Amino acid sequence: MSSEQDHLKDTDTEARFEFKKEQNAAVKSDKGLTEEVIRMISEDKDEPDWMLERRLRALEQYQNMPMPTDWPGMPDLSGLDVEEIVPYIRPDVDKREGVDDWTELPDEIKDTFDKLGIPEAEKNALSGVGAQYESEVVYQNMQEQWEEKGVIFMNMDRAVQEHPELVKEHFMTTCVPPSDNKFAALHGAVWSGGSFVYVPEGVTVEMPVQAYFRMNSEGMGQFEHTLIIAEEGSEVHYIEGCSAPKYGTHNLHSGGVEVFVGEDAHVQYSTVQNWSKNTYNLNTKRAIVESGGTMEWVSGSMGSKATMLYPCSILKGRGATDTHITIAFAGEGQDIDTGAKVYHNAPETSSTIESKSISKDGGRTNYRGLVHIADGAENSSTAVECDALMFDNESTSDTMPYMEIEESKVDVAHEATVGKIGDEDIFYLQSRGLDDDDAKKMIVAGFIEPITEELPIEYAVELNRLIELEMEGSLG
Amino acid sequence: MSTQVHANLTEEQVREISGNLDEPDWLLETRLEALEALEALDMPDVIKTPGREWTNLHELDFESLVDPLNAAEDKDQVGPDEVDVLPWAEAVQEHEDLIQEHFGSIVDPQENYLTALSTALFSTGTVVYVPEGVDAEDVTIRTEQNSRSLFNYTLVVAEESSSVTILERQSTGAEQDEQYYSGIVEVVAGENSNVQYGSLQNLSEEAYNFALKRGDADTYATIDWIEVNLGTQLTKSGVSTELNGDSAETQIVGAFYGHNDQHFDLDAKVWHRAEHTTADLVTRGVTDDIARSVYEGVQDVGQDAWDTSSYQRENTLMLSDESEADASPKLIINNHDTEASHSATVGQIDREDLLYMTSRGIDERSATNMLVQGFFVPVLEEIAVDELRDDLEELIATRLRQRD
Repeated sequence: MSSEQDHLKDTDTEARFEFKKEQNAAVKSDKGLTEEVIRMISEDKDEPDWMLERRLRALEQYQNMPMPTDWPGMPDLSGLDVEEIVPYIRPDVDKREGVDDWTELPDEIKDTFDKLGIPEAEKNALSGVGAQYESEVVYQNMQEQWEEKGVIFMNMDRAVQEHPELVKEHFMTTCVPPSDNKFAALHGAVWSGGSFVYVPEGVTVEMPVQAYFRMNSEGMGQFEHTLIIAEEGSEVHYIEGCSAPKYGTHNLHSGGVEVFVGEDAHVQYSTVQNWSKNTYNLNTKRAIVESGGTMEWVSGSMGSKATMLYPCSILKGRGATDTHITIAFAGEGQDIDTGAKVYHNAPETSSTIESKSISKDGGRTNYRGLVHIADGAENSSTAVECDALMFDNESTSDTMPYMEIEESKVDVAHEATVGKIGDEDIFYLQSRGLDDDDAKKMIVAGFIEPITEELPIEYAVELNRLIELEMEGSLG
Repeated sequence: MSTQVHANLTEEQVREISGNLDEPDWLLETRLEALEALEALDMPDVIKTPGREWTNLHELDFESLVDPLNAAEDKDQVGPDEVDVLPWAEAVQEHEDLIQEHFGSIVDPQENYLTALSTALFSTGTVVYVPEGVDAEDVTIRTEQNSRSLFNYTLVVAEESSSVTILERQSTGAEQDEQYYSGIVEVVAGENSNVQYGSLQNLSEEAYNFALKRGDADTYATIDWIEVNLGTQLTKSGVSTELNGDSAETQIVGAFYGHNDQHFDLDAKVWHRAEHTTADLVTRGVTDDIARSVYEGVQDVGQDAWDTSSYQRENTLMLSDESEADASPKLIINNHDTEASHSATVGQIDREDLLYMTSRGIDERSATNMLVQGFFVPVLEEIAVDELRDDLEELIATRLRQRD
């Protein structure tokens, strides 16, 4: 065991995610959700009227919508009181649109991202980085070579000012309207920060762009909005990382992600989220895919108290393709309710969903999915595969896929398996000289390999470390 | 609650039904309580996704469908001598203790609106009592509905180390525009017993049907269900087993064939509640024309269900472009010492298979028919009751002949 602990110390994984910072806010809203709070946020951002109007309409929709309560087996949201959440905190930085050099950040913020390893990753593997601290993007940089090709990567607040036509057309209109669900409406009212990515026709951004979201204050809500527009024939890989330290009160993360995949374009959206275990993570993520386009969702859901997240692709044009690869890990007191939704609305569309989950120490994972094949989406195909691994008898794992098939010329397959770690496998590894813990870790690493294969190496390593960290303790 | 049938239902009607059957007071009380509960109960759960209810039971007009005092049927209840196969009125006299012990113990009369309605109003039924150690084959319960509504109740009690095979059929005699058939089946499988319960529903295609069958399997007991649905315009059917004893087993084999505008909402559920229990759920169905199928399969493994094996597969074949097939196979796992899997597929007839057969000189229509019949083979193979298997094969062939 001691070698493992040393290893974890060396990799510094725990320290990287659990540290807290003194709060240092320039502007902080009141708790709760009122028109005054919304007007204050909008004014602080110096927003155009149309955006304020959208916010106020979303607020009205939020107030008129009931909480979702009739989902079978949904996570317990009773500990979430939106009225106690601080929806907006602007950290004390000089430049509102974010600096483009890490050294210009206030020390305590710079220190945070240093510990998270973001500047290091930027140097090595990324085309651009945005970093959000509380409600504001504090760092934003895009390598020049991409800027020259017309690629835009900036924070969402700035995009409202600088690209109003693009934002007006795409922001919470056709992809994720506030009326979609209660938390989308909430997001529409109080959203702040996030990323705006625009890739012109035919441009391939070869290295991933990354945004990192950090929630540092107690009892706050983070509501970043991500809007990705990939024009015809373009290609981009966007990575999102999230973390927050743990406090006694609950945090709320309710992001909104909208992706427009143009004809024959290719977008990959990867997330490794490791919110602290008092965070409610209730997101809406959706892509609209035109003909011949490809949308790939890759996600690792590790942290949070409760997650409800079902990234969705609407395959709108002929021959559009969707791939979902997800992994969920639920430890003690965690309820990770996540899955995938795909609407096949055109002929010859295809989707594959591969979902893996691990639960231990009383954690619960649930795969909740929906595949809808509309009348007329002929020659479409979908394959769904869910595998669950459970470590002990306090943990639970459910799968709830729904398949709505309105078209006969289709090929639909769903498969799910649940199993414990095979005694024979462990015995085999032990007979080769590994101890019990190492054998289990090796089996888990093999189990999640389809996910780690899809991630850039830095992320794959991080995911592996996080899982090792999660497994630590229970296996001793 | 949008559907309100109790506006024209009265306590007197329930008293009259109970009185005609010469029932003891406790049973009348159970019925009256169910009648009273109607007001507060909702329809059985159906699958819902945002913006969509897959089966809308609220649309049914129970006020015009239910005619409690005018039930008419033609019934056969036969079985070998060593088993009691009794019509309800007779069973109430002969086996009151047995009925009092088990009635409503597996399916709660107030589980939902339709079970309560059935409990308050059922006027016909069968009790099958298999004494300890008796092996009984060929119990047949045939019900022909000749009235607007018919409420049927079946109780099967298999004592320790007994075995029984029951074949139930529902059909329509005198047809009316719209009819409602409701049937509740409770099966008590004692230690080491073996109950096989086959059901062939072939009611009129104008009829609505609510069916709920549930078994409780004790240690080493086996309950096997065969659930065939061919008739009605709308069926809401649930078949389930609670594996409450160690090493209990269950199999649920389902087959359906929907054509015209038929709608089948079928669920198969198993609750693993004890150690070393095994379940196997297999359903295959066809949808043609504008028919629609909804399938929900649930494998629920409880915290104490160590060493569980649980398998489920569901396949739907769509023969027309206008038909719809929805499926939701669910796994609920609370014990890690479990091996479980489920799979579901929806597809059409394989074009290569069809090409292969037509290239061998078989005309396309015959080839299609053969492939549909072949599709049902994995289910037919699981049906151990010869008579039911043969009938199902014949009914599938008949339905295929009706295709344009």
